[in-house]
Amino acid sequence: MFSKFKRQFDTVFVDVNSADFELDESVNVILSPALYWVKKVTLPVKSLREVKPLLESLFEDILPEGRYSYTAYKEGDEYFIFAYEDKYILDVLAQKGIPFAKINKVYFAQSELASLEDAKKLNEEEIILVQDGVVILLPAKFSKTDEKLDLKDIDLSKHTIALKQFGHIVNEKSLYTIVALFFVMVLLVSSEYIITLNKIDKLQTQREVLFSKYKLKPTMIQNRSLLKRYERTYEAQIKLRKLMATVLSMHLKDGVRLKFVGYKNKKFKLQYMGMKKGQERYIESFFKNKGFTYSAQFKKDIWYVEFKI
Amino acid sequence: MNRVNPIHIAILLIVLLLFVMLKLNTAREELTDAKESYSQTLVLAQKIKGLKSTYFNKTKVLKSINMLLRNATVRSAGISKKVTNSSILLTSKSMNIRSLNFLMGKILNGTYVVSELQIKRLSDKTASLRLEIKW
Repeated sequence: MFSKFKRQFDTVFVDVNSADFELDESVNVILSPALYWVKKVTLPVKSLREVKPLLESLFEDILPEGRYSYTAYKEGDEYFIFAYEDKYILDVLAQKGIPFAKINKVYFAQSELASLEDAKKLNEEEIILVQDGVVILLPAKFSKTDEKLDLKDIDLSKHTIALKQFGHIVNEKSLYTIVALFFVMVLLVSSEYIITLNKIDKLQTQREVLFSKYKLKPTMIQNRSLLKRYERTYEAQIKLRKLMATVLSMHLKDGVRLKFVGYKNKKFKLQYMGMKKGQERYIESFFKNKGFTYSAQFKKDIWYVEFKI
Repeated sequence: MNRVNPIHIAILLIVLLLFVMLKLNTAREELTDAKESYSQTLVLAQKIKGLKSTYFNKTKVLKSINMLLRNATVRSAGISKKVTNSSILLTSKSMNIRSLNFLMGKILNGTYVVSELQIKRLSDKTASLRLEIKW
């Protein structure tokens, strides 16, 4: 019912001496032999997997200093092994007008042009040909051919490479270690976040339990107001008792009697009888020493005292 | 280049890490608030419970006042008692000093909310009393 749409990309051959490209869409890139190192070797191993760990040592003596990536593929009983510098290739491609975003797949000339029968002209100075199964570049003077390299009908192989943009900064192994480290950190922080959320939830539940256990009012404003009322009452009662204790512990002079003791609406009242004006001073000094504030007046030999609580 | 670049994964993880750290930071602040709110509620609840059970417990007040009134020293004072929903009013037109001292000693040393008090001297040995206790 549905046919799979396969996008077709143009294929370009890139050499250090290639002319600049002007691209609208992504392209497949075939790298010139000048951009990589290749060896055709016979190794006493059975699979490609066993070859890969050996690649670095197989190039050890011939490569100039640099940060290389390695790859290989098998053809018959022989292995083609490659060494290349990601950054160098990417720089050359960028110089030629092929930015990283415009690269679809990258191939070596070795894998794609190994079936060339004759030498092909690349430009005025270089030709490309296959010698002993290896694709090589030679100066143009070694061949009189005028036939140019044509990539129109080329059938590309599966031997592609993935160029690493930041391979020169950090190697892939370190990068994966860093990624793994970040992943572990994300896991740890996420775990702590979940634990913290659980703790919050638990505390909120415990707080709700407090409300029912202590039979609190629904809102904290109501509860604070209730507590304030209780505390005011408690403080007033303590002050009342302190006043009563002071009044009752006082020694009155002969003939002076306490006629009335009253408390209502936060007012504490006393009436002393049998007292002449001026005699109240010793009682006043007693009250003042205890730090009480009061108002007092004489009416018909009775001294009225009032304290606000 | 179709292969997923590990750098992109690293950047994604960094963004994810920053996001989770931000959420964690907010959650930590919420946790601190929740802890504070819990302790405040606990302190408030304990204070309310303490004061309520000590000063505003109707059953406890009625029980202890009734016990006081049954005491032989007070019983002879002819104290009348009137209980409402929120208070108890004790009145005596005339009671002796001994009964008054005993009763007031117990009231003032106890945890009662005295809302009204009137003691009038009638003679050297007698006085009238009006005492209201609330809860």
